This record gives sequence, C-alpha cells and structure tokens, in this order.
Amino acid sequence: MNIFFVLLKKEIKELLTRQLLLTIVATLLVFQLIGGLVGSHNKASAARSGIVLLDLDRTALSGRVTKALGGGKAKLTLYAGGGIETALAAPELGAENSFMVIPAGLEGELKAGRPASVEFYSRFKKNASGLGPAMSASRIRRAAQAASAEISAWLLERNAPGLAPAFLMDPAPAREFAVVDGRTAEVSLAQVIGFIQSQTFFFPVAVFFIVILSAQMIMTAVASEKENKTLETLLSSPLDRRLLVMSKLAAASLIAALLSGAYMLGMRSFMAGVTGLGADPSVAVAAAGPALAKLGLMLTTSGYLLVGLSVLFCILCALSIAFILGIMAEDVKSIQAMMTPLMLAYLMPIFIDLSTAHTGLKVLLYAIPFTHAFMAPQNVMMGNYSQVLWGIAYQAAVFAACVTIAARLFSGDALLTMRFRFPGSR
Amino acid sequence: MIKALELTDLVKKYKNFEAVAGLSLTVAEGEIFALVGPNGVGKSTTLKMIATILTPTSGSVKVFGLDASRDAHAVRELISYLPEEAGAYKNLTGREYLEFMAMVFLKDKARALAAAGEGGLLSGLGPRLGDKIKTYSKGMARKLLLARAVMIKPRLAILDEPTTGLDIVNGYEIRKTIKALAAGGMTFVISSHNMGEIEYLSDRIAVINNGRLLACDTPAALKARFATDDLEEVFIKLTQ
Repeated sequence: MNIFFVLLKKEIKELLTRQLLLTIVATLLVFQLIGGLVGSHNKASAARSGIVLLDLDRTALSGRVTKALGGGKAKLTLYAGGGIETALAAPELGAENSFMVIPAGLEGELKAGRPASVEFYSRFKKNASGLGPAMSASRIRRAAQAASAEISAWLLERNAPGLAPAFLMDPAPAREFAVVDGRTAEVSLAQVIGFIQSQTFFFPVAVFFIVILSAQMIMTAVASEKENKTLETLLSSPLDRRLLVMSKLAAASLIAALLSGAYMLGMRSFMAGVTGLGADPSVAVAAAGPALAKLGLMLTTSGYLLVGLSVLFCILCALSIAFILGIMAEDVKSIQAMMTPLMLAYLMPIFIDLSTAHTGLKVLLYAIPFTHAFMAPQNVMMGNYSQVLWGIAYQAAVFAACVTIAARLFSGDALLTMRFRFPGSR
Repeated sequence: MIKALELTDLVKKYKNFEAVAGLSLTVAEGEIFALVGPNGVGKSTTLKMIATILTPTSGSVKVFGLDASRDAHAVRELISYLPEEAGAYKNLTGREYLEFMAMVFLKDKARALAAAGEGGLLSGLGPRLGDKIKTYSKGMARKLLLARAVMIKPRLAILDEPTTGLDIVNGYEIRKTIKALAAGGMTFVISSHNMGEIEYLSDRIAVINNGRLLACDTPAALKARFATDDLEEVFIKLTQ
C-alpha cells in the first residue's frame, strides 16, 4: 500500500472521531428540526391571524373594497360588533394583530372630492418574537395597497367613464433592462441584484466554513502531535517530511469538505423551513433564468470548474498557512488565538468593496489569496477569465511557497523549538 | 569493535543557553549504554540529536559511521527513538498503531505486518490490542510504545526514560525485554533516573552534568573508583 494512503488513513482516523460524526448528525437534525418548527409555527400563525375589517361606511365603495381584500392571501374577518376600541377588546379577536377600519362617510367624502383615510391598526404584543411582527406589517402593507388601488379604480370609473382604470393608473408601465458587458436583457433589477448578491455573499460565507473548519482541524492535528510527542517519533522515521505535510493537508481537506457539506445541507433545510420557499433556492431566480443567462450571469460548466478550482486553491492556501501556524503553536490550547490572524485575513475581502478601495488597499486585498476565490464567481459571470486564471496561478504559488516553508520547518529544529505566544495567552 | 554510535565534541545551543557542551563518547554494537545526569543537563537534547530530530550546533553524531546531519535519512533507517513521556494516537487501536508505525518505518506491507505481530507479542497486551489506545493505562501505553520502538529491529534503539511512571511489574518486564534484545545484538542508548535500573541494564554508564561528560565506564568500575557499592552514591559524588 502506498505510504501516503497509510498516513492519510491514520490522519482521517484521528480526525474523524465518534464525537465528530455525532456532531455532524446532530447539526443536520437540529437544523432540520428548527427549520421545521419555525416553518410550521409561521404557517400556523399565518393561518391563525389575518386582517379584521371593520366596515363602518357600509356603502357600495366599502363593499367593493371588502370584496377586493377577500380575494387576497390574508384571511379576512369581518367585524360588525362596533368601533375599533370594541374590536381590540373583543375576546374572540384576541389572537388577531391586524385591523382595518373603513370609516363612516368615506364614500361621501370622496364623492365630494375631499380626501379621506382608511385606518390600519397593528397590535404589538410585549412578548412578540420571531417573524410574527414582520409578517403582520407585510399583511398591512399589502392590504393598504389593495384598498388604495380599489378606491382609485372606483374614483376613475366615476370620473373618467370609458377608460380602463388599470390603464389610467399605470398608463406607461416601466420596463426594466439590465446591461452587462454590452449584453442587454429585460429583467427586474431586484432579481439581478438578488442573484449577484447570492453569488457574492452566500458563496464566501459557504467557503468560510470550509476554510475555518479545516484550518482549525489541521492546526489542532499538528499542535496535538507536538504536545503528545507522537511527532518526534514520526520525525525520527525514514519518512519523507513532505509526505507527512501532504497527508495532513489532504485529511483535513476531506473532513472539512464533509463537515461543510453537512452544514450546508442543514442550512438548506433550515432555510427551506423558515422561508417556506422549498429546498431549492434557485427556484426563486428560475423565472429570471433566461434573462440572466442572456446577460451571461448564469455560470456555465467551465465557469463552475474555474470557480471550483479557485475555491480549492483557497482552501489549500488556508490549510498550508494554518499548518505553519500549527507548527508555531505552543500547544492545542493556543490554537484559538493562532486562528485570529487567519480569520481576519479571510474576512477582510468580504467586508471591503474592492471596486472602491484605494490602490494600496487593493494591493493588500489581492495579496490575500482568499480574495481571488471570492472574486471568481463575479469575474466568471463578467467574462474576466484571465483575471480568474491569474488569481488561481497566484493562489497556487502561495500554496507551493507555504508547503515548502512547512516542509522546511518540519525538517529543521524549529518544529520542536519554535514557540509562539500571543501576549497575555497562558 | 563496530562503533554503533560516536559523538565528537557535540554542542547544542539554544540562543544563549548551551544545553550540550562538547560531549564525546562512543558506544559499541550490542551494548546497552546509559546516559545519566540530573534533570535539564542535556540528556534528552543529546538523544534527540542522535535521533536526527535536532541538529547539532557543532561537533558530530555518527551512527554506524553515518553522519546524523548529512546522512540523516540513512541514519533513520537504522534507528528507533522512544521520546520521554511520548504518547500514541488515541483513536487507533493498539494493533492499528503498531501496524501504522511498522509501515512508516519499513514501508513494506508484509514486513510491516510481521513486525507489528511481533510488536503485539512484545507488548504483552494480548486481546487489549484490539482496544483504542485512549482506553489504556499509562503502563499499557508505555509497553505498547516500547514494543513499537523495538519491533522493527533497529540496529540502534534510543530510549528516553523507558520505564518512567511504570509500576514494578511493568518496569521489570520492560527491562527484561531490553536485556533479551541486546543479547540478540541490538544496541541501546537509554536515559534514566532509576539507578537500580541503570545498574541492572547497562554495560556502561555516562554521567553528564551541564552538558559535559563527567565520567564514562562500567557500573563496577565507577563503583570501584569511588569506593562504594552504591551507584547512587557515585552519581551524587560526581554531580555535586
């Protein structure tokens, strides 16, 4: 058997403990459970509460508004027991949070050409938590828009007979076009922004988990080998030191991929439960898919491969840097402190906008190998393939340099004598 | 006489601290050679330089004629090193650990399996070899590690305090094993604070203090030199 696989097998056995497997399973279950619970709670509260309508006008107009609201998503409850004070105090409406009042005389005022108001009341409970208040506000907003449209239509029918109210209300509707790299497609701006954001924010966060998990794992693996003196035994063996380095890097990458896969799977079912959109978020942008493809924003297979390669080298860079930090760590306890510079280096490109950064900052950000992985999806979408390829070449160079340094440290006294302490760490 | 080990003016400095200060000695093949001295006088540093994991600041270490700095890889083919208070991979079973280490040293599956089988017998752990190392007592782990160190039949075994922390029975068994292997031609360089053990095991003893060699002879010759029957007395007279 190849000695590399013997080393890899041992590293995996050391890293993939029963506790770690239980953690993975527990993560999946907790996400599934919380997602399911939050989802069903939201559905139940949506079904439970809707809008309570108090029609104090009782005219043709108020009847028309009531009918229009009845066709909406929210459950409509008509209350005829009195004014708003009575409705708010009514025990049977105790679970309701959204109230709409069509005041007496609304139709008369409008007929006379005087402005009048429809009133909306939102009841906030002191112990309100979760998505309840936000859902209530959204219900009120939709009801207000529907009522306003219906009242406008009624007024237009009266004052401009023969003309379609819909035409009068929006005689020249806006058509939105996006232009990307000279290509134009008709698509909502919100959809384009949503899609780009999903690529530029969700993606780095997903990679962040892999990088941090694997970096932490490899640093712990090196530091614990130093602490337990198992490393001294290995170093006195006739084994190529580069094999030791590479087997640790490979094992940490494999376990990190497994962990982050589990995390992302859990997150996916959690979000599906919370948003109620279903497990596949791409469905949300599917309607805009052809337009996004026309703009060149949808990644092709080769585009995905390029992005994947950039992410792979991003992880390898993080692992090799973490390996060096692990060599410098005094013991396993000091790992958390040693992780800080790596995490800061990772987070910088996420929170700084490269397009507006000044030259010095840009150079610094591009010197961080992780930046190139974050930029890869955008660059591929925009057709900047050469920039992606240069980024990958730079990442590969950083990785090779770090592995060389790690292997050199592994071959010298530094591994046993180097002790790096953060000020104040014990 | 074949020289298994030859140290010549060996020096190791850590910044301004001289851990080993010009140590010279030779060990013959098949000998059990003991390195004794108070704590922190350079014994472990010397053993690590012999084991090729530390580089001498000056002077040389030769193992069967090979320079430990220039021919480190070739030296590693001949030696086996057991560090003081060494641990093992806790999530492997005893058997898996022996098989893994045998593969690392021998790089041949058939030879490795045979060596690991012998290591299992030497460890005396029997059915417990199938259990994870994290379930072992300190004595069991130390026996496993010693078995690991000698199962590959190194020409030179370097053992740093091989019986520290062991009970009387376990210590006795380990000493017996070392004696038997030396009789078979294996060379041992050991360090220990247990003078009874040193006297029982060693063909020759080197007493060092502050990184320097104070005396090097057989236990009997050292006792005769200081006109005592007690090796501990020799040690105290030399180091104080």
